[in-house]
Amino acid sequence: MKKSAFSALDEILGKRLETSFETRASYSFDATRKNFLPDAVAFPVDTLEVQRIVELANQMRFPVVPRGAGTGFSGGSLPVHGGLVLSTELMDRILAIDTENLYVVAQPGVVTGALKEEVRKMGLFYPPDPASLKFSTIGGNIAECAGGMCAVKYGVTRDYVLALEAVLGTGEIVRTGVATMKGVAGYDLTRMLVGSEGTLGVITRATLKLVPLPESVITLLAMFTENRKAAGAVNAIVAARVIPAAMELMDRTAIDCVQATIPIDLPEGTRSVLLVEVDGSAASAPPEADRVEEACRACGALEVRRAYDAPGRDDLWKLRRSISPALLRVGAVKMNEDIVVPRSRLADMLDFLSELGARKKVTVVNFGHAGDGNIHANIMISGKDQDEYRRAEEAVAEVFKAAVDMGGTITGEHGIGIVKSPFLEMEIGPMGISVMKRLKSCFDPNGILNPGKIFPEEVAGSS
Amino acid sequence: MKDEELLEMAGLCAKCGTCRTVCSLYPYRKTENAVARGKVRILESALAGENLDLPAVREAMADCLLCGRCERECPNQVLYEEIVMRARAKLADEVGIPAWKSILFGNVMPSDAAMRAIRRAGAAAQRIFLKKIPTDSGLHYRFPLKFFGDGRMFPELPSKGFIESLGKSEAVSGDVMLFVGCVFDHLFPEVGGAAYETVKICGRPVSVFRGAACCGLPALTSGDRKSAFVSMEANLRSMRVAAPETIVFPCGSCLLMFKRNIPELFKEGHPLYEDALFVAKRSIDYASFLLDSGVARKFPDPATVSFPGVIGYHDSCHLTGTLKRGDEPRKVLVRAAGSAFKEMEGADLCCGYGGAFNVRDYPTSARIGENKVSVAAKGGTKIISAACSGCIFQMRDMAARTNPSMRIVHVAELARHALFGGKEQGGRR
Repeated sequence: MKKSAFSALDEILGKRLETSFETRASYSFDATRKNFLPDAVAFPVDTLEVQRIVELANQMRFPVVPRGAGTGFSGGSLPVHGGLVLSTELMDRILAIDTENLYVVAQPGVVTGALKEEVRKMGLFYPPDPASLKFSTIGGNIAECAGGMCAVKYGVTRDYVLALEAVLGTGEIVRTGVATMKGVAGYDLTRMLVGSEGTLGVITRATLKLVPLPESVITLLAMFTENRKAAGAVNAIVAARVIPAAMELMDRTAIDCVQATIPIDLPEGTRSVLLVEVDGSAASAPPEADRVEEACRACGALEVRRAYDAPGRDDLWKLRRSISPALLRVGAVKMNEDIVVPRSRLADMLDFLSELGARKKVTVVNFGHAGDGNIHANIMISGKDQDEYRRAEEAVAEVFKAAVDMGGTITGEHGIGIVKSPFLEMEIGPMGISVMKRLKSCFDPNGILNPGKIFPEEVAGSS
Repeated sequence: MKDEELLEMAGLCAKCGTCRTVCSLYPYRKTENAVARGKVRILESALAGENLDLPAVREAMADCLLCGRCERECPNQVLYEEIVMRARAKLADEVGIPAWKSILFGNVMPSDAAMRAIRRAGAAAQRIFLKKIPTDSGLHYRFPLKFFGDGRMFPELPSKGFIESLGKSEAVSGDVMLFVGCVFDHLFPEVGGAAYETVKICGRPVSVFRGAACCGLPALTSGDRKSAFVSMEANLRSMRVAAPETIVFPCGSCLLMFKRNIPELFKEGHPLYEDALFVAKRSIDYASFLLDSGVARKFPDPATVSFPGVIGYHDSCHLTGTLKRGDEPRKVLVRAAGSAFKEMEGADLCCGYGGAFNVRDYPTSARIGENKVSVAAKGGTKIISAACSGCIFQMRDMAARTNPSMRIVHVAELARHALFGGKEQGGRR
């Protein structure tokens, strides 16, 4: 960035422009643990400030990298070409909650968990629940199209975005969509922006759909001797015409990992565990839970536990929640891949992953959102052995190929960013990339917004 | 600046962002620099030689309340408090610490006599120079705006400390030893007195630890390890001579020092290592002692005691968070005050004191503290009780600023009221 850019930014932002090394270092990372130092960090408070920043960036040609809470797993908020990190942290207000038309209007920096809590107080429900919901933001969730556990029943972030206001790469403000269920006036620019990873526009305001809060939630934990039986139960549950609010599978590797640190009482011979949550009215939830239990038992469950109240449900969730912390004991470096396969291919994918781990001599810990076929395959390595690192990278490439071959995707909810850009073409082909690039140039002709993301680059590094 | 061990500890941070949800400072700073993972990155870049502006790094490390919430929530169990304290020590070695700190920690706090002299001088001066503000937690003085900024309140300095007020032959030996701590001796002697009077009836001989140096926590958290060691060693030597069975701490922060920090700092091989373990093993918080020793059984039926309002309990970061002693003071309060004790709104919010943090950024410390007291007041609490000197000092200042009718007391003052009644509780009038 040129000197004159700093003084011009200073004029727009004053004290809300930070250029100290310490602040730049604090905004150089996300949950990928990679670091790219920005030249400055901006903290705008409203849409007009965002617009002025992007306009300036166009004139002076410096990158603008939007950042919510910097908790992504694909590098979406990393300033890989330096420039300005645009933090939405100060745009953190909920502007309106409409209880008649069931929507909420929020600024991008609102923390997703805080928004869920606010609408819950009114008996309403914003379903998307990425694991990071306590700290990740609405803006970041929309830009990455975050998913979560309840996607199997409720869908993902994109299913709740009704309308958006965004500043395009040109500095123009666009308002997309409408705060009603229906609306087909022209192209669906809202969906165009959802999941665009900050490369098309900076989201400055979002109108999100709400649903009534389910009055009853029941959690079940079913133990199986093998993945095939658990995966079979997943299909049997759906065949019994129950769509649970969450259906999480943990395989032997994940169970062992937790048992080594925080032992949990499980029946002898447990090699696969299914956590199922059903929600609905006080009348509809219990019979659904019964059908889930029957399906699990029919598929050979060793035991099925059930809890109705919060403490009991917490207890059943303990195994699932303990996986991430326990993972660190297995290896210091985690390659967390969020592949998806059709639900019916779940068992095939899990078999493939265990065979792959043995073949490449790396530990692969699998768990995830079985209900929607989204598996988090965590390849764990020490990070100190070059050969091990190479084998892990080979394994990752094979995982992606297998996912695509089975009719799935290389990323269900983390996005492409920089970590998956080399594999994008494998899934969408050269034509897909070409169309996407043409769209990109339409929204952001000068390549100001979040350069270096999604599309593979010849040269990676700071410019 | 190099430190392989520190780099390795910091390297465990996955930058996941969990610390953002629990950081006491983040809501007021709204910048990544405030939270643990940001600080870890700032430290890493200094350790890697990327950032050479070490005074700026020192300031970044100083901007933390050390409330420990991030460490307790961290999924990777990164020892964040330890990282910041070590970084502060390392930076103090490299670029020094501010002069006022080195005089305070190196010359004043290790010496009981120096602290006493300063309190006396201050007690005489305050009446002449400062503006009086009467509050329900005792008389406070307001500093002129120019001096500390933003109208800092300071409690009236007593002319006599708690230990000074004891008779020469009183409480000199006993297998139960009371470690009053600087604040409850010199600044709030009524708390020291209440702790002593209530501990005294345990049925065992009780002594008061005299001539104590500061516990060393302020120096340690500021990175001044040299001064911290002077205090710690002086205390350990005296305690070895007295060899008590039990050491009772009315202050959670002092207890943290003796129970956790000192045994960790005195590595095996240090001449006082055994003493550090000896003391740590025998150290106990005030409320637990009341419960274990049977004092709590001596409370009269709470229905027969009247308290001037709804009592809440403030969870001190060190006592409830780090030492996991949140239930014990509540049990004591239930025994002492019965239904007058009600769980307080925002009980677990940090008071914003943070020791040296309060001095380096008083306006922010005050915003956090005012919010703490206001949330409690809105919830109907009239008396906030606590068991940590820093929190009580801070909340009395905050109450004096925004809620003068709120009383801030130590659990011991309420215990004394229940046991002996009569005496006015809640600070001097």
